Amino acid sequence: MITFDKGIKISLRKGVVDMLPLSLAVLPWGILFGSIAVQRGFSWLEAQMFSAIIFGGAVQIVTVELIADNASLVTVLFTAFVISSRHFLYGLSLREKLSPKPFRWRLGLGFLLTDELFALSGHRRAYQGKLRLIYGLAAGGSFYLAWNLWTFIGIVAGASLPDLTDLGLDFAIAATFIALVVPEIKTLATLAAVITAAIFSLVFSLWELELGLVFAALLAMAAGFTVQQLRRPV
Amino acid sequence: MTVLTILLLACITFGTRYLFLEGRLPVRLGSNIKLFLSYSGPAVLTAITMPILFVHKHQLDTAVSNPYLWGALAAIAAAYKTANIYWTVGLGILVFAVFSSQASWFV
Repeated sequence: MITFDKGIKISLRKGVVDMLPLSLAVLPWGILFGSIAVQRGFSWLEAQMFSAIIFGGAVQIVTVELIADNASLVTVLFTAFVISSRHFLYGLSLREKLSPKPFRWRLGLGFLLTDELFALSGHRRAYQGKLRLIYGLAAGGSFYLAWNLWTFIGIVAGASLPDLTDLGLDFAIAATFIALVVPEIKTLATLAAVITAAIFSLVFSLWELELGLVFAALLAMAAGFTVQQLRRPV
Repeated sequence: MTVLTILLLACITFGTRYLFLEGRLPVRLGSNIKLFLSYSGPAVLTAITMPILFVHKHQLDTAVSNPYLWGALAAIAAAYKTANIYWTVGLGILVFAVFSSQASWFV
């Protein structure tokens, strides 16, 4: 018999541990961001504020450069919006599960809803029941702390550190996502979605399309949907 | 001024994340949309993963000397066999690290 308190501890630990490869994998990018921000003339406080309240890797790295280059406010905000548009997909996908939850859970988990937390939200019963909510909070919260710590290290020591982004730490992201996707491929429809995403994400990435991720995902979802419809007995 | 910009950017990242989690938003998802959205996990994760594996310095890298290729194959095999996140990540990183350190094998 597992008591509720023990369950909370287990959920907290599992959330942190499941997120750990992703938390570590973004270390080079957190340091890079902190380092760029300081080099481009932002104060320590401003640089840390980016990670503390914006909390989005690609948005931060792109907009910090735009602001430093004196781009117009509209350009900065529009660019951030384009990069952030994939979040709509995450919110829509989790709407059924999270919209009935109390406001404080939606607020907390919504704030923490990065690519990484979305990746760990795929379970059929994700966020159902208190322990699964706590799991999500631990996963998202630990990632938040890690990202802010890496940013801080970048701010303080970025100039004296080598560029770590070609060290291969991003492989941990790939390995974790493989671990999450492969066991989900149980139907032809899911397989079609995965293959479609694989092909188009490479094409769009080589074209350096800003919305490539969103477009590839939408095409893949359409492929999965279509295969499912075709195979359904009429 | 910079602080104001940062606050506005925070509104954008939070707003895009939170919007559809709000129950009072008058959006009802029909069964077709729900089916469509049910593929979002594998679709998004695959779309993030593939460029990490095969696009390096803006170039397609499918050479046998690409350690990401071997690490990914090991991870796929482990995920298929064990369906366990820890085994998959552990074995994948191990194989990736071995092939990364032995680039000379392919010269």
